[in-house]
Amino acid sequence: MKASGLVHRRTLLAAASVALPRPGRAVASVRFGLTPVFLDSDLVLLRDLGGHLEAALGVPVQLVKRRTYQEVIAMLLAGQLDAAWICGFPYVRHADRLSLLAVPLHHGRPLYQSYLISDASLEASSIEDLRGRSHAFSDPDSNSGFLVTRWLLAARQERPEEFFNRPFFAYGHRNVLRAVGAGLAESGSVDGYVWETVADREPALTAGTRVIARSEWHGFPPICCLTERREGPTARALAAAFTGMAGHPSGRRVLEALQLDGFVPGAPSLYDGIARMAAAVGMPR
Amino acid sequence: MIPLRALDPRRWPLAVRVPLIVAALVAGVALATGQAVLSRLARDQERHLSELASAFLDGLATAVQPAAARADIWEAFDALDRARARYGALRPMLAAVLLPDGTVLASADPRSIPTGSRLPAALATQAEAAAAAGMPVLDAEAATAVLARDLAEGAVPLGRIVAMADIGPLLVERRAVVGTLLLANGSLALVFAAAGFLLVRRLLAPADLVRRRLAEAARGGRPVPVDETLGIGPEHAALLAAWNRAAVASAEREAMAARLAKEERHAQVGRLAAAMAHEVNNPLGGLITAVDTLSDHGDDPEVRAEALGLLRRGLGDIRNVVRAGLATWRGAPGDAALAAQDFDDLRLLVRHEVARRGLTLEWRNELPGEVAVDRTLGRQVALNLLLNAAAASPPQGTLRFRACELQGGGAVVEVADAGPGLPAAMESLLGAAEGPPPEGGGLGLWTAVRLARSLGGRIIRIPSDTGTRLVAELPAASARREAAHAI
Repeated sequence: MKASGLVHRRTLLAAASVALPRPGRAVASVRFGLTPVFLDSDLVLLRDLGGHLEAALGVPVQLVKRRTYQEVIAMLLAGQLDAAWICGFPYVRHADRLSLLAVPLHHGRPLYQSYLISDASLEASSIEDLRGRSHAFSDPDSNSGFLVTRWLLAARQERPEEFFNRPFFAYGHRNVLRAVGAGLAESGSVDGYVWETVADREPALTAGTRVIARSEWHGFPPICCLTERREGPTARALAAAFTGMAGHPSGRRVLEALQLDGFVPGAPSLYDGIARMAAAVGMPR
Repeated sequence: MIPLRALDPRRWPLAVRVPLIVAALVAGVALATGQAVLSRLARDQERHLSELASAFLDGLATAVQPAAARADIWEAFDALDRARARYGALRPMLAAVLLPDGTVLASADPRSIPTGSRLPAALATQAEAAAAAGMPVLDAEAATAVLARDLAEGAVPLGRIVAMADIGPLLVERRAVVGTLLLANGSLALVFAAAGFLLVRRLLAPADLVRRRLAEAARGGRPVPVDETLGIGPEHAALLAAWNRAAVASAEREAMAARLAKEERHAQVGRLAAAMAHEVNNPLGGLITAVDTLSDHGDDPEVRAEALGLLRRGLGDIRNVVRAGLATWRGAPGDAALAAQDFDDLRLLVRHEVARRGLTLEWRNELPGEVAVDRTLGRQVALNLLLNAAAASPPQGTLRFRACELQGGGAVVEVADAGPGLPAAMESLLGAAEGPPPEGGGLGLWTAVRLARSLGGRIIRIPSDTGTRLVAELPAASARREAAHAI
């Protein structure tokens, strides 16, 4: 299973590196949306990503950041963005209007997990031990930072606002780590990929936290665009820029900073698990 | 052991008191200026802290107000957490956002002040005061300042920002200033005290010189003039000049006293010569009569024997008077020891004065043999006392003389008269140290006191119902040496 995934990834990367389709001359610039789904606090990374995309597309690229997923999704659905890096949960909620452009590969797979973390000093080994504790969620439109934990509680006929004491949203996985590390929240729901990457780069930020549960594997937060624009030159150029990122020095710097292996076109079925959880908690597509 | 009187500052020398007063004054001035400096420093620090606190609260309120309005825990925490790093100068130790019900929405240190809790009562009280006053409330004991700012949207309260700043460095700075002030002012006080000590000692040096000269004069020395150029300023010049004038006057009085004593001696000699002439003259009439009788009736053996007996007795009396005079006036001090006969001779010398005033002389000479007292000086002491007493006695009065041995060696001479008593001025001569002779009489007693003192003895007055009773104690030379050795 793992070996076939890697072959598939190499094939895709090779194909993308052959030629990068460019948007038509009428396109003055490209607006690309970013959510706090990944390490958006790294300004050097943002500069490198913008530089790579501009080099690949041949037009100026404007990286649009918003505080919440909801704002970015709204802009994407309103056609104000050419594409955006969003979470799997909003993708499945709006799958009828959104199409996949690329999906990141982490440790060779387009998958990631949600982590349930607690204050390191807390004697907790399961979600049940977090009952009555304060809890930091990432974003109400985040799969790993909200949906997974809500789905776990729903399976127990529980609701977050009743199970936890004063749950709140920190609007960013990194913020969840800060909240739990500082003691503002005794537990939190966070993107496993973010936790691992921060633990590697800034161990002090995760030192005060402890992973007490890991979720099933889910489709990695994808890069999407409106379906009606999927075959447009900008969307195609963006898809090629991401899937061909590993073939260019500027792209490799971005991947290295993100600790990703590359991007693949991905398939909607990667997000079936998320769709099932959303349906289970009463938030179907 | 230090006597208690020495602890009384009023008894301390000026050379100590004046520097101490200078040091105290400097310390007082330093204390006043130090208080002013510290007060100004404290005001400046508090104003600076208040400005910093105001800027801190302004910035924080802007960032936190939307979060407080939405009761957004994360946003409130995020703003507090970022502010802590940005306001390093204020050294915030604690910051929290409270909801209108007083519960904590978020704090910068959630582990000590968790969301949903309430602030400790003391802190809440200080925060209430700080919010009402619009300025920090300082707690010097805890080295903290509590800041607070109420958040409101129009008339709708949204909550309150409460922060605590570490004012330890401010207090350390104040303590450092106090230490510097103490050190500087203490050093100044010491320097001024030392300078005051040296200056006062220099100023008092001429006065101290006069004091030492006075002490020497009081111990029996002669007043010695001082160098007037040692004086500083007109006051010292006047003091030293006055001392020198007093020394010169004293020397002149001494010289005059010596002259007076000599004249008194001469007068005494004159009186005694007159007495001796009288004593010689008295029998002369009888002797001449006896000679005439012998010339006329020398053939008659009975008359001749009677005339010769008269001549023998008369000449014997003259011989005795002359001998007594010779013994009294020809001898020199240190010639011989005092014997009972020496006092008996005096009886002849004063017999004329006694008879002239019609006095009765009671004579008790109980001195056994010789005593180791200078014969010449001893006799002169007794003679002066006798002549004084005779002069003081009323006509037909009784004059008493008694001589005996002093216990421990020496002689005691006691002379009593029936006079009006010893005047106070005369009595003061008995106990006075060396001094000039009294004016207006009393030279004989003054001389006797000086002579008795030169023999190591004294003259005292024994209280009596009538007249004056004086006792001269003249210790033997060996007893004087033993006393000197004992000292």
